[in-house]
Amino acid sequence: MSKSTILSGEQLSKKYGSLEVVKGVSISVDAGEFVCLVGKSGCGKTTLLSLLSGLERPTKGDVVLNGKKINGASEDELALFRRENVGFIFQSFNLIPTLSAWENVALPLFPIKMTAEERRRRATELLNQMEMGHRMDHLPSALSGGEKQRVAIARALVNRPKIIFADEPTGNLDSATGDAIMDILNRLHSKEGVAILMVTHEVELAKTAERLVRMHDGEVIS
Amino acid sequence: MNVGYLVRELYYQKRRTLTAILGLSIGIALLIILNALSMAYRQAAHAPLKEIGADITVQRPGDVPKDLAGAVFPCSAVTIRKEEVEKIRSLPGIKGMGKAVLLWVFDSKQAWIVLGIEQNNTIGPAILRSAVTEGRFLDGGKSEALVEVAYARQFGIRVGETISVNGSRFPVVGLLDASRAAKIAVANLYLPLADAEGLAVSSKNLQSVSPFAPGDVNLLFLKADQEKITDLAASLKGILGKKATVATPDSFLKLLGSLFALSDKFTLAASLIAILVAVLIAFKTMAGNISERAREIGVLKAVGWTNRNVVAQLLSEAVIQCFLAGLLGLLIALVVTFGLSFMKVNIPIPWDMAPNPHFLPGGGDQIYKTLRLPVHIPWTLASFGVLLSIIIGGLTGALLGRHIAKIKPSEVLRHE
Repeated sequence: MSKSTILSGEQLSKKYGSLEVVKGVSISVDAGEFVCLVGKSGCGKTTLLSLLSGLERPTKGDVVLNGKKINGASEDELALFRRENVGFIFQSFNLIPTLSAWENVALPLFPIKMTAEERRRRATELLNQMEMGHRMDHLPSALSGGEKQRVAIARALVNRPKIIFADEPTGNLDSATGDAIMDILNRLHSKEGVAILMVTHEVELAKTAERLVRMHDGEVIS
Repeated sequence: MNVGYLVRELYYQKRRTLTAILGLSIGIALLIILNALSMAYRQAAHAPLKEIGADITVQRPGDVPKDLAGAVFPCSAVTIRKEEVEKIRSLPGIKGMGKAVLLWVFDSKQAWIVLGIEQNNTIGPAILRSAVTEGRFLDGGKSEALVEVAYARQFGIRVGETISVNGSRFPVVGLLDASRAAKIAVANLYLPLADAEGLAVSSKNLQSVSPFAPGDVNLLFLKADQEKITDLAASLKGILGKKATVATPDSFLKLLGSLFALSDKFTLAASLIAILVAVLIAFKTMAGNISERAREIGVLKAVGWTNRNVVAQLLSEAVIQCFLAGLLGLLIALVVTFGLSFMKVNIPIPWDMAPNPHFLPGGGDQIYKTLRLPVHIPWTLASFGVLLSIIIGGLTGALLGRHIAKIKPSEVLRHE
């Protein structure tokens, strides 16, 4: 692993019963790098993303994230590690329906000892960056798809992560909104220097990344 | 635990919250109402005895002389000897004692129900002091009489007159109306205990079937330790014989025949069922709510909430919901018990405790003590209901929280 490597997975395999979804994959992401994982639906992209982000444990292999081997960590250790190092963006936004936009952004900060004012300040700052300052107190049900994804991106950034894992972030959006979201991700990568590992099945979107990793049938093919 | 998140979750998920609160509150209300009713019946059963300042009354049945003339004992209350009285006084759990002598006196012109009482003893019929409507109550050490107001009206007896009872003369110092005050240990003529004893001792007819000496009585009123009443009832029968009539609040409860009055076991079983129903409702509703939120829990864990953070949040939601359910249950119970407090309850007085000769007109009629059901919710029961609902919330929240917190975020966050 090079000095600038933020994430590496070595010989990762994941089996569900007799079905091997990820087959001995090795992959690394450098700090500040934008990597796209592409492949057809069902090829194991999302499972690999889950393994690399610590959401799931590999059957075999090791994951090192920000210098720490995470596959031996307990559930709570993994949660704490994610809180400090990782941001997530999901295809279906996964916002909490009962919380306002700013509260959704501040969600990762709730378990941290911090004043409500500080939480709100950090959430407001990020929502302003996402041009969502005027929608801070709205519930997710009052937001459009693109707005929801902006809130989700702000939530992924609120803990100042080293790397963001994005799983089909434009999958539920129309092409114009999807392009706007990709612009935000590119801006984050280029201006903030955040590493991004994005899963997509749309090759056109993937072309905006610095590096493409292609998967097929659980294996990295290029 | 995040309070804002908690409040919004309960507020915006109104259907979930209200279902959980309503379900549990019905169980808690049922529990409180059942126990309040049970306590009310117990309290009502105390009323006939409480009116004469006692917890237990004791009398011994016996024979009546063939010739009903002069002073005789009713067949339900014959001599209790002085030695027996002292034995009873020394029983553990006896806190005080009142004595009385009840006589039927058949004069040539009229029949008297005479009750000899201890004028200054607050246990026993002297408690009727407050029922005096005219004149005054009996003074200590004087041979004088009080007459029941209806009886006095019937026979034209007035305060200041002198009456003759079985050859003894007594000045009437007052009239009293016992009808609203008590149903047992009432008479139409009240004398000092010593004078009633004198009438009994001098009656050959009475002595022929039930020898009676000075210091003997035929009615006892006992104040007792509430916890020991049942044991005392058995000990009293041991002293006076199995046929002795020992009246306790429990014996009145049995006469009431209500399900609530029948036994502690019924109330306990009904309460347990109510609690079980409450727990099941709370558990089922919250389990449904929490499983609906699996994806949300997955998000929380993905963004860095530990199992402990998740459990604390769900636990606090459950506790708050159940606390509100407890308060609502208490409110429902208060409304229902207020309604029930207008209900009248008739407590039958056993024939052997009724002083009237059954062979006289109306003497055999069943006597009832009628009162409004004294149903209320003591603060201990109210606190227990609310505390129980909080405990149910805590246990349910902890159990379900621990279960759902084990969820793997990757399992619930995979996109459709």
